[in-house]
Amino acid sequence: MKPAVSRLDIIGALLKKELIAYSRNRLYLFLTLLTLVLVVVMFWVMPDTVDETITLAVSPPVETILAEGREALLAMGASEEQLAALTEANIAEAQDGVILLEFETEAALVEAIEAQEDVSIGIAFPETFVRDVATGADGVSVTIYSAAAIPDELQRAVKSFVREAAYQIAGKPLPITLPAAETIVLGEDRVGEQISIRDKIVPMLAFMMLLMEAFSMASLISVEMLRRTVTAVLVTPARIADVLIAKATFSTGLAFAQVAIVLGLVGAFTAENWWLLMMAIVIGAMTFTGVAMIAGAGGKDFLGQMFYTMMLTVPLIIPTFSVLFPGTAALWIQVIPTYPVLSALVDITVYQAGWTDVWGSLALGTGWAAVLFLAGWFVLSRKVRSL
Amino acid sequence: MTSPAIKAENLSYSYGEIEAVRDVSFEVLPGEILGFLGPNGAGKSTTIKMLTGLLPPKGGHAEILGERLGRDNSGIQAQIGVCFEEKNLYLDMSAIENLDFHASLFGIKNPGSMDILRRMGLADRAKDRVESFSKGMRQRMMIARAFINKPKVLFLDEPTSALDPVTSAQIRETIKAEAGRGAAVLLTTHDMFEADQLSDRVAFINEGKIVALDSAENLKLEHGQRSVRIRLRNGDGVREEHIPLGDDGSAAKIAELASSPDLMTIHTEEATLEAIFIKLTGRGLA
Repeated sequence: MKPAVSRLDIIGALLKKELIAYSRNRLYLFLTLLTLVLVVVMFWVMPDTVDETITLAVSPPVETILAEGREALLAMGASEEQLAALTEANIAEAQDGVILLEFETEAALVEAIEAQEDVSIGIAFPETFVRDVATGADGVSVTIYSAAAIPDELQRAVKSFVREAAYQIAGKPLPITLPAAETIVLGEDRVGEQISIRDKIVPMLAFMMLLMEAFSMASLISVEMLRRTVTAVLVTPARIADVLIAKATFSTGLAFAQVAIVLGLVGAFTAENWWLLMMAIVIGAMTFTGVAMIAGAGGKDFLGQMFYTMMLTVPLIIPTFSVLFPGTAALWIQVIPTYPVLSALVDITVYQAGWTDVWGSLALGTGWAAVLFLAGWFVLSRKVRSL
Repeated sequence: MTSPAIKAENLSYSYGEIEAVRDVSFEVLPGEILGFLGPNGAGKSTTIKMLTGLLPPKGGHAEILGERLGRDNSGIQAQIGVCFEEKNLYLDMSAIENLDFHASLFGIKNPGSMDILRRMGLADRAKDRVESFSKGMRQRMMIARAFINKPKVLFLDEPTSALDPVTSAQIRETIKAEAGRGAAVLLTTHDMFEADQLSDRVAFINEGKIVALDSAENLKLEHGQRSVRIRLRNGDGVREEHIPLGDDGSAAKIAELASSPDLMTIHTEEATLEAIFIKLTGRGLA
């Protein structure tokens, strides 16, 4: 005895039903539209330029250091070229984007930085700095004061600034030991072409949409389980696999479409990256579909389902914050299943990376998506059988 | 000889240590209504789940329309209609959307959903969401959904449970009509009145086992006691006499009381299915 209906027709009917159920739920629709609008608005209100100026405290005043230096160099019988070099080494003018705030004493500088009113980082030079550097004296000490909130890379930049100044005076580097260069996984050395917050949050917006869809789908699945409507479907020619295929297809398609719309609205697609971006979105959508299937099968009621969804999704969005805070993502963040696909999204949308740059992340992301998808399939099919 | 539409042979199922169904065997012929009568937890719903392919039996086997239930039951499921005790309808969808969707799972393009809704008295609410329906309307929707594919075999799990008498009567008429067109009906209920009215045969199920299976009449004849109840005036009160039929001298006793000037009413009485169930199992149907 064979049914007079094909599997494809059954899956098509189930997909249509999913669409009706989704469109009838005012809460999902409202949240989806709200998120869609919010993320796009969030993108456009974020600054698209980067303030590259740094206010730097210096003590004693630069002119004091230079005056003492000129005297010392003259006493040492310095040539005209050496004096000219000292003039050129006027650190107040040598660095673009640096605003100097001068203090008479080191104590005044420390007090200003502690108060953090106008300045959060500063350099206390010895008054004999030029003389010491020029004569090659041992143990030339320059103290850098920094507020706790100042990021490490800015502190490193100030050290470089001091080294540069010393180099211009003495013609050789100061023995300042800088920390070994770190690999910034989600970024690169972009001096002069820093990434604006607006550009940085694009992958985060994509993840917000995926997260929202995971909640909606988990809820739809949960309702189907709790009301046991799926049981009515399973006494027809439809099989469990048909139900799961329809749910997975609908969930992935919905998440994909919404993320694609968001990324389209914020102008993330280009002629070069569109296909890579599409791949990354599909992988992300599949990952969150797997999560939605697990969460939807888990809850015994609406609150239970919300709890499971939160428990599963919150860890998955942790990698998105590494986009906002530059630096190497910790190892534990890198092993979170969503990290590879986020990394690919960042590389594609922010750094215009190509296939050779992101294929590794995409492959790893596909692996994680497959694991979560299969886990979701297994958990949900067990749940359906147990009804 | 007509082949059975439903055939269960030594069906068994257990939930862990609990044996829900034990060696249950029966047959239902096309056009026949078999009432499965038993209290809650007797194993009625589990039996239906096995026969509809939702649960694989842990013992025994079953055939629907001559086809053995196994791993892929989609062919069998195309021929059956199921009405669950739980009202598992899509509440966000309208009545007609529910029926059309269900029909599409059978590959039926024009299911005539409006005709079925009309038959169930729901035509004027066809486009309303099911969430706005009363309990009785939802139950009628459940029946309508079970009929959408014109099934050859119907499984109805407590189809009139907790409904008002008018709706119950409507649903019973519809079930009779389905049997009249040749559908085999397995009806579970713990309402002995419903079983008595609808069923061609009745199976008593208790603690997972069938304890009796026959027509209601035969069960009453075999296990019940027919009697005559005579009510007589007794001063200012009323006196009742129950005289078992078939006993020696009962005819003479009835004749004597019937000729009494104090006679008020005479009624024949027969055992109810519930009384027989209690006699056979030692427990009630509630």
